[in-house]
Amino acid sequence: MGSEMHKDQIIVNDDASSSGIIHRGVLSYYLGSVFFMAGIALLAMGVAFIMIFKIHYTSLPEEILLTAVFMGVGITLILTGINLMMKQTKYGYGIVGGSAFMSLSALSLFVYAYPHKWYYPFISYVFSLFVAGFLVLMGNAFANVTLKMIGNRFESVVGKEEKAEVKIYTDEEIERDIEEATRKSVDAAIDKLDFTLADAKDLTLGASCTKVRGNIVRVKDDMDEARILKITRNPAETDKWGSIGIDKVSMQLSNALENQPSIEKDRLVEITKDFERKIKGIVDLVKSK
Amino acid sequence: MDYVTRLWVGVNIRNLFKENVATFHYINKDGDVEMAKGLDIGTMNIICAEKEGEDVVFMQQRNAFMELESSDLTKTMLDTSKVLYVEEDGGISLLGEDAFRFATIFEKEAKRPMKRGIICSDEKNAIPMMKLIVERVLGTPKGQKEVLYISSPADPVDLDINVLYHRKTMEALAKKMKYDTHVIDEGLAVIYSELADYNFTGLGVSVGAGLTNVTLAYLATPLMSFSIGKGGDWIDEQVSKTTGLPKEHVCATKEQAGSTLGTTDVDFGSVKGALTVYYDALITYIIKNLDRRLAQIAPPKVSFPVAVAGGSSIPKGFFDLFEKKLRETKLKIEIPTMIRAKDPLHSVARGCLIAARTQEAAGKRATTAATAITTQKKTQGKTKTTGKKK
Repeated sequence: MGSEMHKDQIIVNDDASSSGIIHRGVLSYYLGSVFFMAGIALLAMGVAFIMIFKIHYTSLPEEILLTAVFMGVGITLILTGINLMMKQTKYGYGIVGGSAFMSLSALSLFVYAYPHKWYYPFISYVFSLFVAGFLVLMGNAFANVTLKMIGNRFESVVGKEEKAEVKIYTDEEIERDIEEATRKSVDAAIDKLDFTLADAKDLTLGASCTKVRGNIVRVKDDMDEARILKITRNPAETDKWGSIGIDKVSMQLSNALENQPSIEKDRLVEITKDFERKIKGIVDLVKSK
Repeated sequence: MDYVTRLWVGVNIRNLFKENVATFHYINKDGDVEMAKGLDIGTMNIICAEKEGEDVVFMQQRNAFMELESSDLTKTMLDTSKVLYVEEDGGISLLGEDAFRFATIFEKEAKRPMKRGIICSDEKNAIPMMKLIVERVLGTPKGQKEVLYISSPADPVDLDINVLYHRKTMEALAKKMKYDTHVIDEGLAVIYSELADYNFTGLGVSVGAGLTNVTLAYLATPLMSFSIGKGGDWIDEQVSKTTGLPKEHVCATKEQAGSTLGTTDVDFGSVKGALTVYYDALITYIIKNLDRRLAQIAPPKVSFPVAVAGGSSIPKGFFDLFEKKLRETKLKIEIPTMIRAKDPLHSVARGCLIAARTQEAAGKRATTAATAITTQKKTQGKTKTTGKKK
């Protein structure tokens, strides 16, 4: 699939299902990881040599050579490994390879020339070569990271084949959507209607029409369900334990229990337990939500 | 018996029933008038519920009317006895309970504006009569935009009718009366009224005259709602056809206290025997449809207690029969307990009132919060102004 992609296109979206990664294969990640780990190890050994040999200007040439090579190769491998772990631009691998070659060449020249032929201007050339390779590796890594960050904000540029996300709707979903749309449309249409009763003015009301409402039944009912419904619908709006309201009610209940005769007290205790059970249920519900 | 005598008899029977009209508005401890009402618009009864102090007051009228010939004598007798009526085109229409009582005396059938839970399309005076009855029952709003919740049936699964027009018409009627109107399913109203102890999770069944409504809810949110086109009226019709007795007689026997369903000792051709058979058939039909509907949804894996209400569930033995048949059927949901409404006739109206009071409280809270923010802004403005002057 990668070969079908246009050569001029830059892959800016690091989509896991994109053809670029599949084409790169897993080998580049393994290589990158190996180089990185090797580089870390060599660099660590180089740093260790500095401390072991106590490198200074009068140290033995062999010691200096060994330390420099370990550190130089280590740094180069680290940067090469980092670059290999990233998705590269069109000439990215070439740049990585070339710059790694430059650094390693510089190190080879150093090994060849040090210490007997290690003079200026040769030192400048070698050092420049190494630094150039180092900077190019660093710069390439930085550029790829920047491109990735920019690319994530835009849609991926795909080749001539477009990725089409196909969602399959079930019959029930289609029916439900149609029903919902119809209901909304009908509701909106009916809301615009202004109902009037054409025959209203022809009616004469009887004398009782302003007095009699109907058969009345009066029932003692605290209608606590309204409060519970409010809590059930909006659990975030419940009073917190320790709030002034609940403390006040608790104190009042406690006083009432102390001042009641024993028979009524038992009934009040029952009511209190029932109340506590209900409150506990509501609190559990709030916690679970 | 001639016309006038019948009228006289009807009026005197009417006067045997006491009237008590509540005319005050309750003012709660905060100094606010309690403003919220629930209205159950049923095929047989229209019931309004409102809170007055520690009581809930239910105002009930039969959803019926009866036409009589108009004359001055008739009008005088009806006015004297405070009978609810209207006059139009030379005729008088008695409204509500009186229509039923006078229907028996005049050997006429009271007309019903609603059939099978919705406005009857055959009756041209259905909407004007219903408007009058609803206005009497509901009364005037206590304040601006008083919250009102009205009940509405769900779409029936076994009839080719849609309740949308009925729902919108009733809503428009109430809005014309200056109420802040909302509509709620009948089954959900039963859940609000009876299942507060279960956090409004369960199945609400309202067995009415025209329709039987069923709603499944989880934490006050409806998951499934449907109705079936059979109820108390269907039973009356079937028993009447079977026994040859008038529907009113069957209805009266059914509503008798002490009338028991499910008894095995019945006489051949008796009304009680026929009632038991048809109630059994109705309950089986309800449960079969419930089973079918539950198979189409995926309810959460919790227990769903069942609450049963509605005027047609009042006869003794109905609840036990319903419970027995429900337990025998292996439904998709777990049913830990079954609850019979303490007041089956008023349960839907009570549920509507609960919803209205909750809405009213939410509205007050929003108003208080908005007022507090406005006050805070004003205070901040004054402080800034003071700061500048310094």
